Amino acid sequence: MIFRWLDERLELKKFKDKFLAKTFPTHPTFLLGELALFSFVTLVLTGIFLGLLYEPSTKMVSLFGSMVPAAYASVVKIDLLPMGMIIRRIHHWSAMIMIASILTHLARVYFTSAYRKPREINWLVGLGLFGTSLGASFTGYLLPYSQFSVTATSIAYYVSKSVPWIGGGLSRLLFSGEFPSDGTVPRFFFLHVMLVPAVLVGLIALHLLILVKQKHTEPSANRIRKESHGGKKLIGIPVWPEQVVISLSFYFFLLFVVSLMATYVPLNPIEVYGPPAPGTPVMRPDWYFLPIYGFLKLVPGNLSLSIAGGKITPETIGGVIFPAVLFLLLAVIPFLDRVKEPLNYVENPLHRPVMTSIGIGGGVFLGMTAISGYLDVFRIEPGTMMLYTVLVPLVAWGICYTLLRLYNRRRE
Amino acid sequence: MVEKSSGNKGEKTAISRRRITLGILLGSLAGAFGSLLALLKVLSPEKKGGGYEATIVLGDRLVYAQGEKAGTPLRAAALKDGDAVLAYPVGKAQNQANLIQLIRLKEKAFKPPTRLDLTDQGFVAYSAICTHLGCTVSWVKNQTSPDTSFTECFCHNSIFDPTRGAKVLGGPAPIPLAQVGVKVAEDGVLLFTSGFIGPIGPQV
Repeated sequence: MIFRWLDERLELKKFKDKFLAKTFPTHPTFLLGELALFSFVTLVLTGIFLGLLYEPSTKMVSLFGSMVPAAYASVVKIDLLPMGMIIRRIHHWSAMIMIASILTHLARVYFTSAYRKPREINWLVGLGLFGTSLGASFTGYLLPYSQFSVTATSIAYYVSKSVPWIGGGLSRLLFSGEFPSDGTVPRFFFLHVMLVPAVLVGLIALHLLILVKQKHTEPSANRIRKESHGGKKLIGIPVWPEQVVISLSFYFFLLFVVSLMATYVPLNPIEVYGPPAPGTPVMRPDWYFLPIYGFLKLVPGNLSLSIAGGKITPETIGGVIFPAVLFLLLAVIPFLDRVKEPLNYVENPLHRPVMTSIGIGGGVFLGMTAISGYLDVFRIEPGTMMLYTVLVPLVAWGICYTLLRLYNRRRE
Repeated sequence: MVEKSSGNKGEKTAISRRRITLGILLGSLAGAFGSLLALLKVLSPEKKGGGYEATIVLGDRLVYAQGEKAGTPLRAAALKDGDAVLAYPVGKAQNQANLIQLIRLKEKAFKPPTRLDLTDQGFVAYSAICTHLGCTVSWVKNQTSPDTSFTECFCHNSIFDPTRGAKVLGGPAPIPLAQVGVKVAEDGVLLFTSGFIGPIGPQV
């Protein structure tokens, strides 16, 4: 009844035939991108709740008899509301899951070579989404204005200030003046709740539009099936009703897991960190910033050079050049590993010794830089750790490459 | 867009007209967005806060920086050999640049480049702001031989040697922590006897 009423006005039938019949892949690794999208939905929903109660100000106010920044006080008050702390933890956990699923999604696309022609553009859009998500997480760090927030943001402030030539202006633009001043919290609040999510929404839309236009890649097994049966269409399941049911179940399962974690696993306990204080205890960033954090520890202090009036310091090398080079390397991959004809089938990673071994080596390298973040725990000298950080990935790459070569020789 | 030399006049003017239009379009775009660049200046206010300009004056008393005793005067008797504490000059705690680490070691433990004239009865003081990325340094005490205790920044594990003018022993810090003169006054409280000797805070 309702459908017919709407159909007569909106021509829903056309829409249904065109879009709801779209084919979805059946392999579970094709759900990783969806996982990131669903986490983003959760982040927006919980973020609306938090944003309505948060106060973006560093004005000192009284909280249980002591003077603390208003931002900190408002987050403590959120934590005291019924379900308040759980919502805040769901927000934080979802951010972690979002970054994790983006990373695994990226790895899946890399190892199955789904970034190749014609999908280079969407690979770049995806990298943009990755970077923007890191920015979203980072701008959120400061908002509770705890000792942890201020330390993390202060480090980033000096890293941005260390950029040669433009560091002074850049840091003032990002942090709205020097940090810590009263300008930074309102600036980061706007970035975190408005500008960065808007960019994310735009990029997500672009990512999905390109996906719908180009269609997803298929396992090579499908090619054989099609060639023998003479079919041309994608093999998979339609959006409605199969994929919708799968996706919805998947989303609610995610919500269930995240709620469970938020209820039982403490995360960012600002009451333990306390408001900003003179001393800096041992604190480590969330896991996805560990590579940068670890690399900052590795770069020796006397490593700096001057070019044309600009000074490249260890801070710039660790905090700016290192992540920039990582992103740049990722960005050029589809333009180095080229194919002439557009390719719509994924390849078995085992059949691509060069790219797969480089990917494994790169992953191990990131793992090593993350471990470097704990060199004080393992009591390793930075110099020794630097050596390991270079050698271990090379060894991993070598082993992986040799094994894959042998495997492929036997296969042939 | 290469002009065709075939002599077809109408086509030629069409192309140059297209060029002019395109030029105007790109020029105005560049102009419009170029003038918007001036906004960057507006969006980057000169708000003070992170800059490290210490305001320690000769004769300022040292007070505890944190804990229950925050703001109360530091007495020499409170620190034993191998102890250290964070301190501010009295009444100037709003300025993070004034934060110092007061350390007490055996008097003969100090070697150059420590300025011995700025130490007193085994007390030495350094800026507590790490020269790497501005975290506050901490004291890692060696219980069995206090003289081998050291200052460490827990952010990226820069290590400083308090007996040698806070020389960098390891980690990413580029320069030592700046020393500042302290002495024990007659009534047992600690006073500053100089400003910082050398630059403080992140060297960026």
